[in-house]
Amino acid sequence: MIEEATEKISGYEIPECETLVEIVKKSLRTSDNIGIDRCMQCGACTASCPAARFTDYNPRQVVKRVMENDFSVIEDKIIWNCFYCYTCHLRCPRNNSPSQVVQVLRQLSINEGIGLDKIDMLFEYGNVFAEMGVSTLPPLYLQQMKNDFDKRWFEFKKNLDAVRSELELGPIKIRENGHHEIRIILEETGFFERIERLKKWQTQKRIQNKVAREMGNETYRTNPE
Amino acid sequence: MKHIEQIPNKGILLFKTCMVSNEYPGIESSSTYAFDRLDIDYFVSDEQSCCTGLGFYFDLFDQLSTTAIAARNFAIAKKNGYPNITTMCSTCYAINKKACSLLNKNEEVRTKINSIFKQAGFDDLIYEQNSLDQVDNFYHVVEIFLGKTKRIGALNRIDFSGVRVAAHHACHYYKIHYDDVIGNPENPQLIDTVAKSCGTDVVEWYEDRTLTCGAGFSQRHINRETSLKVTHAKLESLKSAGIDLMLHMCPNCQIQYDRYQPVIEKEFGTKYDFVHMHISQFVALALGADPDKVCGFGTHSVRLDDFLNSLK
Ligand code: SF4
Ligand code: SF4
Repeated sequence: MIEEATEKISGYEIPECETLVEIVKKSLRTSDNIGIDRCMQCGACTASCPAARFTDYNPRQVVKRVMENDFSVIEDKIIWNCFYCYTCHLRCPRNNSPSQVVQVLRQLSINEGIGLDKIDMLFEYGNVFAEMGVSTLPPLYLQQMKNDFDKRWFEFKKNLDAVRSELELGPIKIRENGHHEIRIILEETGFFERIERLKKWQTQKRIQNKVAREMGNETYRTNPE
Repeated sequence: MKHIEQIPNKGILLFKTCMVSNEYPGIESSSTYAFDRLDIDYFVSDEQSCCTGLGFYFDLFDQLSTTAIAARNFAIAKKNGYPNITTMCSTCYAINKKACSLLNKNEEVRTKINSIFKQAGFDDLIYEQNSLDQVDNFYHVVEIFLGKTKRIGALNRIDFSGVRVAAHHACHYYKIHYDDVIGNPENPQLIDTVAKSCGTDVVEWYEDRTLTCGAGFSQRHINRETSLKVTHAKLESLKSAGIDLMLHMCPNCQIQYDRYQPVIEKEFGTKYDFVHMHISQFVALALGADPDKVCGFGTHSVRLDDFLNSLK
């Protein structure tokens, strides 16, 4: 299980509870009055879900598994198909929010060392944010955009400062009165410790997978303990 | 439901947005241009950080850290006397509202965050309960424009008659805090109303009007194929509706449509002949802004030259 370093955050994201329904209800990520135990399995969420329209993902089914306390749902890669578009959240007649439920499931998954490959491209994001006060797209993501877009876009990105000053906009980097407020805040909430833990974990996982591959047996899940 | 009469025209902090700053800086210069002409009392702070929404919905940022960062920005807004936080991005809007609601209603979170501030010597950041209201202090620029449609119509310098326009209302504006939408969240009309005030020919309904843009935060990267299928479906329905211009209210949606339209044309073997703008760019253009020096259309992937030349 995730260690002390991350527990500060986990306590809020994933409070210690017996059942998945309780975790969902108590997590800071979900609305106070989330109607998870009022779900009547009507399927309105699935009927309006873009992920259900284009993939095998089914929010009604995910909610059902949570209500049945089926912890294996956090190992199911299908939870990584949600767009967080909140259409289900708007439509649900029982004030449930499959969108928020999935957010909690992904946090549980990450805390178990599952699905780190879905977020590792963003591991440096916190540092950039602390430094600049502005989020920037992670290099891997940018690489994808560079492959996708034409040369004109890349030129624009290189000349961003010049473009901004032509539009009479100030520098992107924010002013912090010399305090490094953002870095200190994120250190105190436990954000950086958690990222460091996840990074270490991901490296261990890569090594284990490499060994497993060499032995002809690749693992998806890695628990460092 | 929020009402038009509630929309303020003063004390507005124009909340800077990472994807505007990095991808479509013209949205910010257009917003300030339009606000100047509409006599909106606003402020842009060089201390305000972005909302962490991108990291939050990538499952990386946690709610506590996101709320603490929001509290710092709220302090900046209040200190400067501009407590009406107004965003150009739908995710900033939703993230800030949720953070404010937590700070007001969840004592444990408020105490925890305030103790972090106190310990670090950041006393000026401490959040006092109910010093901001999660409904009355949070707006999107399209709401500000909605409160000024008469003025926008009167100042409009461009003949938009015959220009077929379709709106994409961003999910994180009307589907998260649906109780606070101006109008019916099942069929929001904010962009449509602003566009109509300038005489455009608005397409009232098109198939897939409420479908997400397809960006889905990590989806564009980890499930690229599905992400583009969603965007393709929407672009196809707009093609059937025969539009000239699609209007946005979120830079992430705009990336997905404007930057990915040429990619989808190539990968799905299709062709689209419409262009994209943010509602701020549209209003600024209508009020006489220079398409390059203010609206920053040069940073778009789908070129607007032909469209702009066709306007009188
Ligand atoms: S719409 Fe709501 S009540 Fe119906 S199945 Fe989905 S979560 Fe359950
Ligand atoms: S938030 Fe996720 S589950 Fe809900 S409708 Fe959108 S894609 Fe489907």
